[in-house]
Amino acid sequence: MAKNSTALKLEDLASATPAKRAAFGGGPPPPPPVRPIAPIGSNAWLAMIMFLGAEAMFFAGLMGAFLVFRVGSPVWPPPFQPRLPATVTGVNTLILLLSAVTMRLAFLANRRGERKRLVKLLSWTAMLGAVFLLIQGFEWVRLLHFGLTVSSSVYGGLFYTLIGFHGAHVLGALAWLIAVWSKARQGKYMGRNAVGLQTCSMYWIFVVALWPVLYGLVYLY
Amino acid sequence: MPGKFYSIPITAAALLTQAAQVWACAVCLGDASDSAIDGYNASVLFLMSTPYLVVGSVVAGLIFTYRRARKRHEETDAEMIGQLEWNQEESSR
Repeated sequence: MAKNSTALKLEDLASATPAKRAAFGGGPPPPPPVRPIAPIGSNAWLAMIMFLGAEAMFFAGLMGAFLVFRVGSPVWPPPFQPRLPATVTGVNTLILLLSAVTMRLAFLANRRGERKRLVKLLSWTAMLGAVFLLIQGFEWVRLLHFGLTVSSSVYGGLFYTLIGFHGAHVLGALAWLIAVWSKARQGKYMGRNAVGLQTCSMYWIFVVALWPVLYGLVYLY
Repeated sequence: MPGKFYSIPITAAALLTQAAQVWACAVCLGDASDSAIDGYNASVLFLMSTPYLVVGSVVAGLIFTYRRARKRHEETDAEMIGQLEWNQEESSR
């Protein structure tokens, strides 16, 4: 070997970096190729989880205020205040719970690539949500006629605040659902590429899951 | 700042002479048998437990989703190996 050869010498290998060792032809064998692990959810999915946590805390604050007056009152409802329509609202609760089932089925249908079934189930979900809101609105009008208003008593104020905020959430979720339904009709959600559908489904199931808690607290307790 | 200067002795005098009013609790509504106290206690207990419930649900959901994704990943790997074993053309080479 010539004195000024540029070839690597064996004694240089000990101090050489792994890259140089590999270039020389030595070093450990390369690791087997590893398939990259996909993230378990999208950023929007994670953001929705955080948002729903905040929403849960918001409703917990309202429920805490309700508990102060409900547990602290020896007589509930207060005298000369109408009773809440527990039976009709119980049926309405079943309607809303059914909408969560159709929403979940719609999500699963999209995973299987069944577009027609997705659109059909989304329209069923929206219809059930609209029926829930209509019945709630009808009952509210009746309660207003019976004299239960926001300013009639703490009872009325708490009822309209708690149930009203939930109703506003269902209304917002319904508007979102109609937008998702419209996009689903155009075939925008294909297989797993359905972040909009997924987050809307999460929000819908949240407002549905919240309702039995509110129903039990305000109407039955 | 004369206002700041006088505020310290005024506060000290109030603490010494009107202690009951100064230290009055903002949510003390009556005696221990008052039902309003029960309402506050129930609400405080509920609101204390809610953050644990919410954060616990979020963490449990994330762990469940992570485990499910990991299981699916392993199943997909196993399927890929199975396909390689089945490839007759490759094995006869």
